[in-house]
Amino acid sequence: MKVLAIETATPASSVALGENGALTALNVRVDRRGHVGFLIPAIDFCFERTGWDPSDIDIVMVDYGPGPYTGIRAGMATAQAFAAALGVPLVGVSSLTVQAVRAATGHRRIWSVVDMRRGQVAVAPYRPLPGGVAPDGDAEVVGPDEFRARLDAEAVDSLVVGDWQALPESIWSGLHRVRMGRPRYPSADVICEIAAIQSGREDFGQPSEVRPQYMREPDVDIKWETFRTETW
Amino acid sequence: MSDPLILGIETSCDETGVAVIEGLEVRSSVLASQTDIHARFGGVVPEVAARAHVEAIRPLMHQAMSQAGVYSDQIDAVAATRGPGLVGALMVGFAFGKSLAWSLGKPFFGIDHMEGHLFAPRLEFEDYQPPAIVLLASGGHCQIVHVKDWGDYETLGATIDDAAGEAFDKLARFMGLGYPGGPAIDAESEDGDPDAVAFPRALADRPYDFSFSGLKTAVVTYLEKARDAGKLPPRADVAASIQEAIVDVLVDKTFNAVDSTGAQVVAGGGGVLANRRLRERLSEEADRRGVSLYVPSPSLCTDNGAMVAAVGVERLSTGATPDALDTDVDPAMRLGA
Ligand SMILES: [Zn+2]
Repeated sequence: MKVLAIETATPASSVALGENGALTALNVRVDRRGHVGFLIPAIDFCFERTGWDPSDIDIVMVDYGPGPYTGIRAGMATAQAFAAALGVPLVGVSSLTVQAVRAATGHRRIWSVVDMRRGQVAVAPYRPLPGGVAPDGDAEVVGPDEFRARLDAEAVDSLVVGDWQALPESIWSGLHRVRMGRPRYPSADVICEIAAIQSGREDFGQPSEVRPQYMREPDVDIKWETFRTETW
Repeated sequence: MSDPLILGIETSCDETGVAVIEGLEVRSSVLASQTDIHARFGGVVPEVAARAHVEAIRPLMHQAMSQAGVYSDQIDAVAATRGPGLVGALMVGFAFGKSLAWSLGKPFFGIDHMEGHLFAPRLEFEDYQPPAIVLLASGGHCQIVHVKDWGDYETLGATIDDAAGEAFDKLARFMGLGYPGGPAIDAESEDGDPDAVAFPRALADRPYDFSFSGLKTAVVTYLEKARDAGKLPPRADVAASIQEAIVDVLVDKTFNAVDSTGAQVVAGGGGVLANRRLRERLSEEADRRGVSLYVPSPSLCTDNGAMVAAVGVERLSTGATPDALDTDVDPAMRLGA
């Protein structure tokens, strides 16, 4: 099974091609902006590298967030068009999960963190399993103090991965059972691994079910005082 | 060789538009309007617009292809709006279009939204040809363009503050007439007297430029005074007078450009050109001078994918170089620059 994986949910963008869990090409760039300019050249590079044709692809996988919005949409639109043009399934995966899968190396419970800017992060806990991780609670968007409270409540050894550097250093003091680790950002090669794991279980959804996971309402600035309905 | 099949994508503001055209014949043109979503906010909210585009684009593309009876591998090129517009909104259609073109191994063209409006009349009028003076007016733009030839454009004048559609929106909101303001004021004006209130016509000394902020202030001041004095005229009269003031300026400046360039062709595009009074007045002035007027149907005046595809046809047929793989959107794109 040949997979095209697209990852643009964070400042790190990447594109990967994989076959049955083995990575065949990867292109990565870390840049907060310019996802649209990066994606197609990166895809072109990966196909050039493997000698594959777009029509060889069996499945497209895309990170649907959470993360800063514009990047997610660039990746989603690119993945949707590719899947639509070739008539193949599109599957979405969470950026938090991608980071947790990469970090899964031991017995520690994993907290995966994505910077949502404006002093907030998206976080989700994962339980380590042999050869992977399983979600161990809901993803949520929190501020530093709320996240600290979550960690304080833990009675187990845990590992914080993702962009924890976005949080103030002071929140880590006195947390003896907590370690900080990598990766800082999700990456498309991990998405290829996830595709291989999921294909064994045949739990791919429909393309129509793949929607960006923003986890925050849009900012709307309504100037209600300018509404006049009582003049007449 | 038969006419090329072009897929056009438009996502610069609050309409997701996808169209398939063959030569200059529209095979399908579908739209997901976000007007109802933004009506709650009294205007377009960029993040809300971008979210709606990403939901709408793939189903719309399928709808456009099936209505046209075309398979994706039959498409000869893909064209998508590159700018100007809201950056988050533009990115969705542009990324989608680029990816579609690359996956199919077809050329991709990033299109100037304004050039799309200049081309839209071609989809309805076979004899519409430059040189022409074109009035482009909507909620996001307001300018007069001298189209010397396809690809050779000079912007003679533009708004120095609000766009005409924005003025309609703000005034309609102030009068409690709802959103979008243009159609609301147009409807309210139907039984109103356009000469009831003499609102100011701005920038008489600048032949091609527009300004609508003075009108806004004048309307607000006038209504507050009239209300305090207990002498409020009928709302329809005020709406008709506002509409007349905006239309007057748009028509005057357009025909200033016609007179000074000697152009024999006038055209229009943008949502404000759907306004009935504006269409009527443009047609009167064009008749008086004996010049040809090409204002397409309202559905081709407002933003749509077909106008973007129409520019794509021109690019393909003139052998233009497709966009490089790494091109990005250009929210501040300027016609002719
Ligand atoms: Zn427009």
